[in-house]
Amino acid sequence: MSLRWMRNRWVVVPGVLAVLISGWNLYVAANANGQIEGRVVDQAGQPVPGATVTLFNRSFITNEARARATTDALGRFRFEDNTSHAVQLQAEAPGHGRGERVTLRLWFRAQDVAMHDPLVLATR
Amino acid sequence: MTRRFPWARHAVLIVVSAIMLIPFYWVAKTAITNENIYAWPPRLLPEAPHLFNFVDVWYLIPFPRYLLNSIIVSALAVIGNVVLNALAGYALTRHFPAKRLVILLLLSCMLIPFQATIIPAYLITARLGLLNTHLGLALPLLSTIVCIFIYKAAFEAVPRSLVDAARMDGLSEWRIITHVMLPLSKPAIATNVILAFIWSWNSFLWPLIITRDATMQTLPLGLARFLSYLEDTTGALYAFVVMVLVPGIFVFLMAQKEFIQGLTRGATKG
Repeated sequence: MSLRWMRNRWVVVPGVLAVLISGWNLYVAANANGQIEGRVVDQAGQPVPGATVTLFNRSFITNEARARATTDALGRFRFEDNTSHAVQLQAEAPGHGRGERVTLRLWFRAQDVAMHDPLVLATR
Repeated sequence: MTRRFPWARHAVLIVVSAIMLIPFYWVAKTAITNENIYAWPPRLLPEAPHLFNFVDVWYLIPFPRYLLNSIIVSALAVIGNVVLNALAGYALTRHFPAKRLVILLLLSCMLIPFQATIIPAYLITARLGLLNTHLGLALPLLSTIVCIFIYKAAFEAVPRSLVDAARMDGLSEWRIITHVMLPLSKPAIATNVILAFIWSWNSFLWPLIITRDATMQTLPLGLARFLSYLEDTTGALYAFVVMVLVPGIFVFLMAQKEFIQGLTRGATKG
């Protein structure tokens, strides 16, 4: 059977788009578990165990606290159930004060992400 | 001058094109930043560009629903246009009593703005039970007089002997349209597809009147709604505008060659 009809921009361009969209959706499905990992450090860069990290869901006009996590002995924290594509994180620990809110923008809802920069405490 | 200095003509055309594209550039630039569009002096290049405004639009409003509605309505309008206009255009190439009167009637109908017929259109749609449905949204756009005449001009350009030969071979009128006329009128089809798509895609007033709930709204209505309750989100608003514009530009770019052929053929033979 001749496949010449496929060499047509009305077939090729939508076909390429369909492949790209399918690939993107597969990637999203494989990486949308809602995991956010990061670290909390003090101003000297030392990990802060026992710090409380609050996750805020960010919308255009409001930021609503959704979940809390506590850091381990190495200052690491992990959220398992993020459902948003735009969140803010804020760390707080007794004796260290509260850090600034850090906005984390994701490419899709519940994207798994490991934060490169740590949350720094006692900035204010 | 242009023969001696062809570059001068190109330079002028490039400058004019650039001036015409500035608004589009400004929309795209604002969509990928969070800049204040009233800032002075304005920045020509985007500062800290990102694509997260598009993600915000996708998730914070029911954009996929608006997009689906617009696609369904535009697809219905395009299919309806291609089929109904081709049939009407073919009929106008045949001889029948009061043909001139029908053409005159169609031409005079083109002078009446849609706003003037919107109440009867609404009543007819309501009587058919199509309010707040995709078919109802597409109904007034299922056939357009301009495109009927584009088909008429394209069909008249097909050699009469070809149609006569098809008829002698036993083809019905319907098969003459589908197997002879339409394959030889691709520019007219492309023109019709583009015009019907853009008209239905950008339609605002009719969807505003006949939709009853947010789940049936199309992209232009969503844009107006977005603007009304989220005034301070310039970047996301412009991202929304880009997302509404892109499909229309895409369809035009795909069919621009046939579109221009169709328009010029209509202009010379109509």
